[in-house]
Amino acid sequence: MKASSAARPAGWLNKVPEIALSFWIVKIMSTTVGETGADFLAINAGWGQGITCTVMAALLAIALFTQLHTRRYTPWIYWLTVVLVSVVGTQITDLLTDGLGISLYLSTFVFAAILAAIFVVWYRLEHTLSIHDIATPRREFFYWAAILCTFALGTAAGDLATEALGLGFTWGAISFGALIGITCAAWRLGGNTVLTFWIAYILTRPFGAALGDLLTQAKIYGGLGFGALSTSALFLSVIVLLVGIAQLTLDGDEYAQANE
Amino acid sequence: MRKPYQFALPVVGLSAFLLLGQVAGCSKPADQSGMGTAPAPSSTADQTSQANAGSRLGDLSAFRAIATDVAGIVDEGDLPAAKARIKDLELAWDSAEAGLKPRAADDWHALDKAIDKALAALRANAPTQTDCKAAMTDLLKAFDSLKGKS
Repeated sequence: MKASSAARPAGWLNKVPEIALSFWIVKIMSTTVGETGADFLAINAGWGQGITCTVMAALLAIALFTQLHTRRYTPWIYWLTVVLVSVVGTQITDLLTDGLGISLYLSTFVFAAILAAIFVVWYRLEHTLSIHDIATPRREFFYWAAILCTFALGTAAGDLATEALGLGFTWGAISFGALIGITCAAWRLGGNTVLTFWIAYILTRPFGAALGDLLTQAKIYGGLGFGALSTSALFLSVIVLLVGIAQLTLDGDEYAQANE
Repeated sequence: MRKPYQFALPVVGLSAFLLLGQVAGCSKPADQSGMGTAPAPSSTADQTSQANAGSRLGDLSAFRAIATDVAGIVDEGDLPAAKARIKDLELAWDSAEAGLKPRAADDWHALDKAIDKALAALRANAPTQTDCKAAMTDLLKAFDSLKGKS
């Protein structure tokens, strides 16, 4: 293992991927796949919400444990963790809303407050909120805590838009897509990288859900009627392909470096 | 480093593409044959669906038909068969959530709760005829109470 700090190879010990196009594609699609997968287990397979929640939380714990104990970014572990965080983050909000009857206004506000608190503590301790250099256990803890929170917040805010504004998935996809576009424009015009990243991260949750609904919902409801199963299969294939490419590229680089 | 901000272009592009497909799909008259409800969950479409089916959620007859069926099986006393049949309602109702809920979230929640209670009654460890019958009666009432609203 190399320990030189001056010439640290790109990606070495950094635990998170570069934020490029494929990052956002996989992130958005994992939302749909996660939600459809959890629904499939709870309803089609007849596990019920309780068992599905428990199983997903246990899987997340295993994935997160593995992710926290890898030495460097490993695409398949990282993205498996994101998919499971997406499922569990959604389930937390659903549990609060449907199970405990907590209003979406309250949960949206509380998740936003918790997320803000995570950022404040993160910044106080690390003096940076960099999403490019997650190379210490503490930073990684903050990173995943923030990600779990953005999924819960994104779910609550997205549901709130549906319930309070009667925003269907068509207008949801347009509105959240437009907000993502604005966030992107703000970034290009010199907006803060970290801030715009997290805003986009929150917005891609309801955007991904609306996009998934648009594809899966029956035509009589204004969807494209592709069905949940084929849509998830398609998205999962794209995710596996992109993550597979990332994994092979990374392994290839490592091999090349080892032979230098 | 690659430019991290290029993500939004394809995102917006993809949604625009899907939207076009959607608009094109909706304009085909053949698509509206199905259950005869409005094609899009926008506010204008809501008004159309109200006019068509007399419920803010649109035409719920397909869901109500399964519930009626389940209630009939409960009346016959075959609770395991009723339990098996109500899964069809659960599946249909769940898969239509994103389409129905934005039309009238309160109505959707009222019906969702009634369906949950019926599911719980039929799936209890020792389901009783009385509980199941009561839950199914309430569920059918919940369907009918939405019909009046528009």
